[in-house]
Amino acid sequence: MAQFNLYQEEYHPSPIMHIWLEFKRSHFALVGFAVLLLFCVITILAPLLAPYDPNVQNTNAILLPPAWEGNGTIAHLFGTNALGQDVFSRTLHACRITFGSSVILVFIALVVGVALGTLAGMNRGVKSSILNHLLDSLMAVPTLLIAIIIVAILGTGLANSMLAIILALIPQFVHQTRNFVREEMKKDYILLDRLDGASSFRIFWKSILPGMFELLAVQSTLALSVAIIDISALGFLNLGAQSPVVELGASLSQSLEVAYSAPWLIALPGFCIFLMVLSINIVGEGLRSALRNRLIH
Amino acid sequence: MPLLDIKNLTVEIDTGNEFVKALDKVSITVEAGEIRALVGESGSGKSLIVRAIIGAVPDHWIITADRMTWKGQNLLTMSNEQRRVIMRREIAVVFQDPTSSLDPSATLREQLEESIPSEFLDKGMFWQRNKQRREIAIGLMHKVGIKDHDSCMQRYPHEIASDIAQKFMIAMALVSEPEILIADDPTRSMESTTKNQILRLLSALNESKKLAILFVSHDLLAISSMADSMTVLYCGQTVESGKVKHLHRRPLHPYTKALLDSAPSFQINLPPKSHLVSLEGTIPTLQHLPIGCRLGPRCPSARKECVKVPEERFIQQHAYSCHFPLHLPTGNDKSSDDTEDFNLGSSEGSRQ
Amino acid sequence: MINLLLRYINLMVITIAVLVVISFALPYFFPGDTLTNLSGIVPESDAQRAALEAAYKLDGSVFAQFWHYLNTLVNGNWGVSFTSQTSLLKEVSIAFPATIELITYALLISVIFGIPLGFLGGLWHHKPFDFGVVTFSVVSYSFPVFWLALIFITIFSLQLGFLPLSGRVNLLYDVPHQTGFILLDILRADMPNKADAFYDAIQHIILPTLSIAFVTTAIFVRFTRRSIMDVMEKGYIDAAKSRGFTTKQIFFKHGLRNALLPILPLMAMQISTLITNAMVVETIFSWPGIGNWLIQAIYQRDYPAIRIGMLVVSMFVVSLTITIEFLSRAIDPARDKFERGAV
Repeated sequence: MAQFNLYQEEYHPSPIMHIWLEFKRSHFALVGFAVLLLFCVITILAPLLAPYDPNVQNTNAILLPPAWEGNGTIAHLFGTNALGQDVFSRTLHACRITFGSSVILVFIALVVGVALGTLAGMNRGVKSSILNHLLDSLMAVPTLLIAIIIVAILGTGLANSMLAIILALIPQFVHQTRNFVREEMKKDYILLDRLDGASSFRIFWKSILPGMFELLAVQSTLALSVAIIDISALGFLNLGAQSPVVELGASLSQSLEVAYSAPWLIALPGFCIFLMVLSINIVGEGLRSALRNRLIH
Repeated sequence: MPLLDIKNLTVEIDTGNEFVKALDKVSITVEAGEIRALVGESGSGKSLIVRAIIGAVPDHWIITADRMTWKGQNLLTMSNEQRRVIMRREIAVVFQDPTSSLDPSATLREQLEESIPSEFLDKGMFWQRNKQRREIAIGLMHKVGIKDHDSCMQRYPHEIASDIAQKFMIAMALVSEPEILIADDPTRSMESTTKNQILRLLSALNESKKLAILFVSHDLLAISSMADSMTVLYCGQTVESGKVKHLHRRPLHPYTKALLDSAPSFQINLPPKSHLVSLEGTIPTLQHLPIGCRLGPRCPSARKECVKVPEERFIQQHAYSCHFPLHLPTGNDKSSDDTEDFNLGSSEGSRQ
Repeated sequence: MINLLLRYINLMVITIAVLVVISFALPYFFPGDTLTNLSGIVPESDAQRAALEAAYKLDGSVFAQFWHYLNTLVNGNWGVSFTSQTSLLKEVSIAFPATIELITYALLISVIFGIPLGFLGGLWHHKPFDFGVVTFSVVSYSFPVFWLALIFITIFSLQLGFLPLSGRVNLLYDVPHQTGFILLDILRADMPNKADAFYDAIQHIILPTLSIAFVTTAIFVRFTRRSIMDVMEKGYIDAAKSRGFTTKQIFFKHGLRNALLPILPLMAMQISTLITNAMVVETIFSWPGIGNWLIQAIYQRDYPAIRIGMLVVSMFVVSLTITIEFLSRAIDPARDKFERGAV
């Protein structure tokens, strides 16, 4: 960044630009970001990228090993599974389902959680206290338990497992938002808004929400990694996505039967989940330290 | 030999993009038993000097100095262990903000008793030692003027008022019977009555125990009432240092003069409703320090020579860094001139 | 202090009440016959149906049913499992200790390794060791626990053959059920080949425990590292340094306590993650714990079992979390009043 500056002009990047400048100082964070972008691209373009329909069964090629093994073919890059389906295409589609649904459910949980958290944070008295304490302690109920109950009531399926994870994620957002809103409400700039006659909604929308974006971004990356792991865990336990929907956890558990003869069928979906979560965590970590450094400098 | 002797201390700090000389060739000495004041506006690097002395500067900041010694031992090159031993017994520090300098999860008693060096206890059994610790602690609390030691010592730092906390910090600093007390703006944001108590406490300690004090502050009134000598800092450069009465009578540096003029209590013949004097402009930010004399852009008597850093010059004990000092003809016949000045100064200074 | 205790007891009671109400309502939402969902018995005749309905007060008001439900809960008369027709209380009392045993060991490992690692990483910030610690924590936090368990099985059970694939102890050893903790039971049992059985049980427990402990350790490392880094930048640490204390003294007397206090409740929150992971891992290793039991129950649509299992597990987690939160609040003198290291 050796730029020649004739004038000692000060460069004040905008907050978001500043975060980006701090963020890209870490090479790990950049690599993680690139991988995350790759998964985004896969999520959007999976049907175009996949060479085969993920559910078409090619009975002539069953349990083909990946292309780099001796008897694999380049036609099936990652080989085929026990039903003769192309693993590469299935993995792309599975990534799409897992990642896409996680993003959607985190977004829903975010919106609901922020709304509830703001209500809890801006209100006082019995209503808010009940909401707070109940949500705080219900936060302790394990995700899988919620999922089991929802599946018991509504049956299995991707949408139901998403619902379960949304319910499990909401309390975290509520908790964070409430604490943040409560802290901000004590500050003088909110009092000034009040004195100027701003309504509660305006205070929230114009004064509190803009300051909350960073918190929410960090919290969302955390929630996203949890969501991906949970949704694939539910898929793995056969409580989530059901065939013909291809999902990483589900395809992992389907491969268990042939684990001896085709270990790559276990390695691949698991590695995809791992990579996805890892990249999200690295980005989250980079984001957090970028935010921290921005405050220092 | 002075207790603390710092010559041309330069500290370069990391602003994220580049290293900036936050302190540029600062010199300061503290003799045994004197109260030396370190004056400067906020951001002039006062606290940084303190941190450099006690070694609490981040490792990657660059500290260089021609001389930075404690009783002849080099503070820059000594090992952490050596420095720790010195800090333990000989140097004590009182920080700006007393409540954040106390561990929030321990009672005051625990913290005070922890600070008592074990050499102070007789070789008794452990339960006797506890009693001894308690007695020493109570004695210290009384010494700094906290009367109800019982109720105070059981409390946690967030439960006591900040002036009590500051007295307590002084008690903790005194526990090891140090030779110098470095007080980093101990009266910041205090009411004037409590401030006076603290100042009186410090002066009394100085007189009764011959405790040297490095008093860091921007409060000229406090300094003039207690300090023997002072060093004025501007933007990380020492501009002037000497006896307080000399500086008051005849400030040589334009900044010192501006500083003194800005405090109305020092101007005896200030007509009513007249404008208070102040320098034009503002303190430059760390990223945009001017070259040469850092006061340059704001200095009323700046000339083009001022883009060079002025060397430190001495007139007896009075040091100043200015190309064009006030009250002094820049001509040749310096020495006769300033002896006269200072004779005058000292005779009048006795009025204070 | 009394005030605080009352507040937390109040919170605990309310939360448990909510959980009980939810579990009471569940059978009415589950698909199928409400009576069967309640009792676990498919009535074969009208007479039996009438008797069951009377027993469960289905003819009475909702409040009567709820009162009856509370009574059965307290009496331990939890009904029977839909599939095995055995008492749910008995099944839970066998399965739940197995899970608790598993998470106890996992938690111990996480605390023993995670907290010191986090502290060292935070203290030696920006050094290679810290880099290693952070890498370890981010990577192992990213492992899906079921995949990790499968990898462990592939490596240690299938490839190397070191450790057994599934179960709690070899069926050869007949361990009487006492505490429910297999290791304790073996130690207390009067068996001929105690040492062998103990060794065998340890071998069985290693892989499931490690799979769970990995993620939790990573979380603990993160918490402690961040917290100690924040604390070490605080004014009182500088003040302690300026007083000439040794590094050891500073860390143990001032750093440790202030760093641990705020993260204690956060760690308590991890019990929920721990249980979720334990449930998944149990199914993989066929560990006869509550997770495995619940998952089997959901496969078989065993609604009475799901209801009781949900109530027991969530009550356990919630009461544990609230207790730890209360304790950490009680021993922390300056909570809410003073800024301290946060994550």
